[in-house]
Amino acid sequence: MSRKPENNNGKDEVKILAFLCNWCSYAGADLAGVSRLQYPPNVVDIRVMCSGTISPYHVLKAFQMGIDGVLIAGCHIGDCHYIKGNYMTYKRFQVIRDVLEFIGIGEDRLRLEWVSAAEGEKFAEVIREFTGQVEQAGASPLRTRWEENPANRERIRKAFKPLLP
Amino acid sequence: MAIKDRARDIIGKEVDGVLAFRPEGGSHVPHLFNADDIDQMAGEYPAGERYPVSSIVRRLQAARPGVRLAVVVRGCDERALIELEKQGQVDMEHLVLLGLACDGELAGTCGCAQPYPSEVVQGEKVEGGLDLGMVEKLEGLPPGERLDYWLSRFAACVKCFGCRNVCPLCYCKECALDEPGLVDHGEQPPLLPVFHLIRAVDMAGRCVDCGLCEEACPIGIPLRTLYRKVGEVVESHFEYRPGRSPDKKSPLSVLGTEEDVT
Ligand code: SF4
Ligand code: SF4
Ligand code: FES
Repeated sequence: MSRKPENNNGKDEVKILAFLCNWCSYAGADLAGVSRLQYPPNVVDIRVMCSGTISPYHVLKAFQMGIDGVLIAGCHIGDCHYIKGNYMTYKRFQVIRDVLEFIGIGEDRLRLEWVSAAEGEKFAEVIREFTGQVEQAGASPLRTRWEENPANRERIRKAFKPLLP
Repeated sequence: MAIKDRARDIIGKEVDGVLAFRPEGGSHVPHLFNADDIDQMAGEYPAGERYPVSSIVRRLQAARPGVRLAVVVRGCDERALIELEKQGQVDMEHLVLLGLACDGELAGTCGCAQPYPSEVVQGEKVEGGLDLGMVEKLEGLPPGERLDYWLSRFAACVKCFGCRNVCPLCYCKECALDEPGLVDHGEQPPLLPVFHLIRAVDMAGRCVDCGLCEEACPIGIPLRTLYRKVGEVVESHFEYRPGRSPDKKSPLSVLGTEEDVT
């Protein structure tokens, strides 16, 4: 159910991938859902057992596949179910974000948030804010650069299959 | 004293073998010398003939745990060994380093932070200074131009895996670059930019800026610029530089404490 850019106040339709920790943010998202809090529908989420299990490769691969923004959400520091898993999340996040910026994809497209199971409203707010932030940044230049290049169209089509109609 | 004299002194006494170079077809190749052939060891170390000697040490030690070796090291080789030791890949206790200082010309073109090892046996120390010129130049460009720069460079990649294979810090038995789910197999260039960014993030807290990858790349992709930036990122967030301070481990290889993340 993809909206055209013109139906979105002229802004690019963006796709966001959210990695949600099972023990906190995933439940937070659930809470936001059952509380009927409004947040934009641009998000595809992946549940993980701890934000520390998210490899930088997964984030890079998401961008490779044409995702416009990646959200990583985990338990607050001190609350990780596996004690220190999110320490790693935090450290890796800083490296990936700065590499994305240096390469020209843009640091605005990656965000890390700590959201507990009780923070349904915070979850909705994070999604709203981040969607706005990514919309501001527009469609991922990776997506547009590749699409502009006919030689790569076929590969893009393949790589995008799971995401685009 | 020259490295060769020192090697002669210690062979068969302090050490069982000396990893150095032997002349071969107008150039030099790495060779493990013993007391019998130590006289054939080369005494000169041309700038254009660098090898990942730390990787050879790692393999030799893995094959013969406890073997006592001496090895000719430049600054970068020593940094690689220090970092490898922290990751449990080499055993410095059984290793004698025969330090070689890079000459001014090599140090100038290389642009590494320290073109000499901690103890110099041969050569004159010249001060280095990390060359971040290219990094800064790219940072001065608008993001879109930066992306064009990198994509056009990466697009020339012939996927020879030379950069990974030569890298002293790439010792994993299973490599993400061999994972078809991440990087298309049978495609050239590989999926971009993920192929090169995988290496970039993996070099965080590892890359010792030896420059062997860029030297090995048949296309001349400015890999070192990318990894230098990664090095700067790691230093700015975690105050860590791979290959220094033997008693401090890479923050990306240990969970650490709450202070690291608040
Ligand atoms: S400069 Fe290249 S080869 Fe040397 S450690 Fe860094 S990534 Fe590996
Ligand atoms: S050495 Fe150069 S061409 Fe070979 S895989 Fe690495 S980047 Fe690509
Ligand atoms: S269990 Fe939620 S971040 Fe580790």
